[in-house]
Amino acid sequence: MMSSSYLLGITTFIYLGAAVLYMMHWIFRLKPMGVLGTITTVVGFLVQTAGIGLRWIESYKMGYGHAPLSNLYESLVFFSWATAITYLFVEYKTKSRAIGAFAMPFAVAAMAYASFNPNVRDAIEPLIPALQSNWLLAHVITCFIGYAAFAVACGLGIMYLIKNMSSHPDEGLLGAFPSLKNIDELMHQTIIFGFLWLSIGIITGAVWANQAWGTYWSWDPKETWSLITWFVYATALHARFVRGWRGTKIAYISIIGFCSVIFTYFGVNFLLSGLHSYGSQ
Amino acid sequence: MKSQKKSGNPILNFFSSVKLAIFLFIILAITSIVGTIIPQGESLQFYLERYGPNLFNIIRWLHLDNTYHSWWYLTLLGLFSINLLVCISRRLPYTLELVRRDNLNVDDTKLKKMPQRAFWNLNPGLDETRQKRLIDLFSKIVGGRRRERELEGGGKLFLVEKGKWSYWGLYGLHFSLLIIFAGAIIGNIFGFGGGVMIAEGEAVDHIYSRTDNSPIPLGFSVRCDKFVVQFYDNGAPKLFKSDLTIIEDGKEVLKKEILVNAPLSYKGIRFYQSSYQAIPSVKMKLVRSDGKEKVLTIPAYKKISLPEEHLELGIMQFIPNIHGVPAIRLWVGNPKGGSQAFWVLKGRDGEFKNEGQIYKVVLESVQNRYMTGLQVKKDPGVPLVYLGCLGLILGIFVAFWVPHRRWWLMIKPKESATEVILAGQTNKNKAGFRKEFEELKAKVNEIIGEKRS
Repeated sequence: MMSSSYLLGITTFIYLGAAVLYMMHWIFRLKPMGVLGTITTVVGFLVQTAGIGLRWIESYKMGYGHAPLSNLYESLVFFSWATAITYLFVEYKTKSRAIGAFAMPFAVAAMAYASFNPNVRDAIEPLIPALQSNWLLAHVITCFIGYAAFAVACGLGIMYLIKNMSSHPDEGLLGAFPSLKNIDELMHQTIIFGFLWLSIGIITGAVWANQAWGTYWSWDPKETWSLITWFVYATALHARFVRGWRGTKIAYISIIGFCSVIFTYFGVNFLLSGLHSYGSQ
Repeated sequence: MKSQKKSGNPILNFFSSVKLAIFLFIILAITSIVGTIIPQGESLQFYLERYGPNLFNIIRWLHLDNTYHSWWYLTLLGLFSINLLVCISRRLPYTLELVRRDNLNVDDTKLKKMPQRAFWNLNPGLDETRQKRLIDLFSKIVGGRRRERELEGGGKLFLVEKGKWSYWGLYGLHFSLLIIFAGAIIGNIFGFGGGVMIAEGEAVDHIYSRTDNSPIPLGFSVRCDKFVVQFYDNGAPKLFKSDLTIIEDGKEVLKKEILVNAPLSYKGIRFYQSSYQAIPSVKMKLVRSDGKEKVLTIPAYKKISLPEEHLELGIMQFIPNIHGVPAIRLWVGNPKGGSQAFWVLKGRDGEFKNEGQIYKVVLESVQNRYMTGLQVKKDPGVPLVYLGCLGLILGIFVAFWVPHRRWWLMIKPKESATEVILAGQTNKNKAGFRKEFEELKAKVNEIIGEKRS
């Protein structure tokens, strides 16, 4: 019996396989491994898409009927899905598979955390009244497209720093990376892309909050942390455009920015949960 | 991008620097963390107990119990706004110059220095048909308006330009942030927020302020006709719903069912479903020893008086289910003094004496009556905030993805030969533009039928 949990469960392993293949491609310079990595990622992506779709259908069969974007488990799955598609797009654009060794682990980590952490409940749950809104879909999708882009930008930032530290950046393992200039440009483009979606995500959240509670902004930790993240990336963009920052500095900001994303996503729920938890009425 | 005219005014220079903007981003990001770590809006006692006297003093001085509305945080936001305003105004002349610049006003030396360029020296020169085909091809470049000018020494220069307006995206995006701030300020000054509990069947004409609990008159009444709560099998709430009626000047003007995500809006005031409370109400029969009966309905925890009987009755305690039946603890008092309290269960009547009469109390039924909890909000700044949000998104999109592209074609006779120059420039997505330019160049080569010289 094909179930969504089965499909999403094997997605974890397919993505893991893809990440390993990309690493082998990168480390051992084996071109077929890279091609295989791409094929595996695409297969994983299709399986995951089917899994998400099936979960959606299952929720209707259970009588709850909602998009699979309503709890931590589902958001992690979607984050991994968005990371995979964002990476595939970057690979298509740059033809560089070495990036896969740095981007796909984020997709694997999200899936593994969702599947194996006992604290993450993977049951399909009914929507409580606060979440019964079309804004749920718009808000979660836009935020997580942003997060996924920032994950890829963080991977690029790490690549940049590694390559930049080396005294022979164009030889050996690092030679497989795109040039420093290209990594920098790609990282910048990915940050802009993420910034747009984060902005839309914050705004859809605000509109939703106004619809549900009558305040578009109430400075709760989740909102505040998303704003902090927004400031971090705004810093990167302004520093680059107006002050001409490039490379290393932007790479650091990209990594700091993604830490802020992670904190917005998990930290607020776990460390600051005493203050606020979303969706509780 | 870089060079902006410096004025002599040091204050203006300070505020027009993007260094300040970056500094403010970082400071706002760091200080914003504080309010997510320290719980906000608790009582002073809470902070004293939790953080001890030393930290407590810092918290109080810096208003860390209400960080985001503290004097220093608002000052930072104020600086941020001024910085934003000065930055974009200072940039304006530079952009105006860029937008007003006539891109037809270039000569061949300048074209030959453009990022994308190709030139041909054709001898013998280009005949009429091929010239026409060349110009046609150039005009077909999607969506652009073609302009041309005669060159002084003979020949023509054509220009197709797209997305010149995109320079305004940057202004739209930054100005939108100021619009959002303006909306927030308007909401704070002219709006209010509060809440009210309304029992089913009852109406209120005022609510209570969120900040100081003072009553705020609405100018009309809201009645709760019915409240419904439903649960899923797992115990999680499924539905909170109130049927509300707006009554103005004694007339019912609006009826609406509200849900958590579907508020009611009337005259700019919105009512949100936010909580509920169940209030049981007890129906009982009072039978006097002379046979006279009276049926009463008393809400739990409330007192009613029966002046003709010299009686006051109240439900002190209520248990919905004890040995399968509901039970109440009834309080009975006489206005002249003296009171008693006793338990009455359904099917087990109670008895008391008052002014020589013996009364029997029969508990008939207990009904649950609900009170709906509404959040009430008036925020005239919301449309501005939404407008700003829309502008922000469109602005980001235009500023980052809509390029200003220019293509030039110069056909210039040189004695018996003809010089053809094709040039192009863009400010965004240079790789994509290069590809398009190469394609155009290949087509030009086809028409001219010659290799580039």
